[in-house]
Amino acid sequence: MNWIESPTMQRLEHYLDLVTFRHELISSNLANVDTPGYHTQDVDFENEVRRADQRLEDDPVSPHVREVKGLIERPDGNNVSLERETMALSQVQLQYRAGVELLRNQIHMVQSAINEGK
Amino acid sequence: MNLFGVLDINASALLAERERAEVVTSNMANAETTSTPGGGPYKKQLVVFGTEQPGQGKFALALSRFGDLHARGVKVERVVQDNAPPIRRYEPGHPDADTDGYVSFPDIDPVEEMVNLMGAAQAYQLNVSAVQATKAMISETIQILT
Repeated sequence: MNWIESPTMQRLEHYLDLVTFRHELISSNLANVDTPGYHTQDVDFENEVRRADQRLEDDPVSPHVREVKGLIERPDGNNVSLERETMALSQVQLQYRAGVELLRNQIHMVQSAINEGK
Repeated sequence: MNLFGVLDINASALLAERERAEVVTSNMANAETTSTPGGGPYKKQLVVFGTEQPGQGKFALALSRFGDLHARGVKVERVVQDNAPPIRRYEPGHPDADTDGYVSFPDIDPVEEMVNLMGAAQAYQLNVSAVQATKAMISETIQILT
């Protein structure tokens, strides 16, 4: 096992993949805020992270996308809630930053080893 | 889809909302237009939005990590003409008056159009924040190795 395939790196990779995927869905919800008949889409994030950690190494990530229940539907059949989506957007941004920061940490550890700790 | 694909979704919304704002301002500008090239008063236009499968070249598809793509962009599906009957006002001196002295004006409520314009502006702003979020995420990724 080399350092780039370490379990930590792989978990971080799955995590960032999932955060990006959720960001896609939120962007799609925000883009379709005025599209008649559009329903809010999301993933069960915690569940998907757990699932991604359990799956085999080379399986592609395929998160279950679900329609969010319990939102108020407007007369045109659209149920996108601006408040929910903007909150989710800032959440995703912070989660992504956390993931990237941890990844940097890992790489810097290896860099420090290459430089013999100097 | 990667983060650049998300930017495409954000951009599709900016484009669609701008088209909506254009149509609404055209309605507002022509609220008193009594003659058009097609004859008769101006008719109110309405945009209808629809979802759009984000553009996918073979390259983007090869890079895509998820078999099933759910995220959708938005586009102006069509622009429909409101066929509400015109409002007739008695103005005998008007060049477009009919034989009884009535002029047909478009049935456009400026308040309704203004609300629609505000809706478009708000949605535009919202998607600009989404673009900024996506951009921030991309530049964070670029800085991993620095």
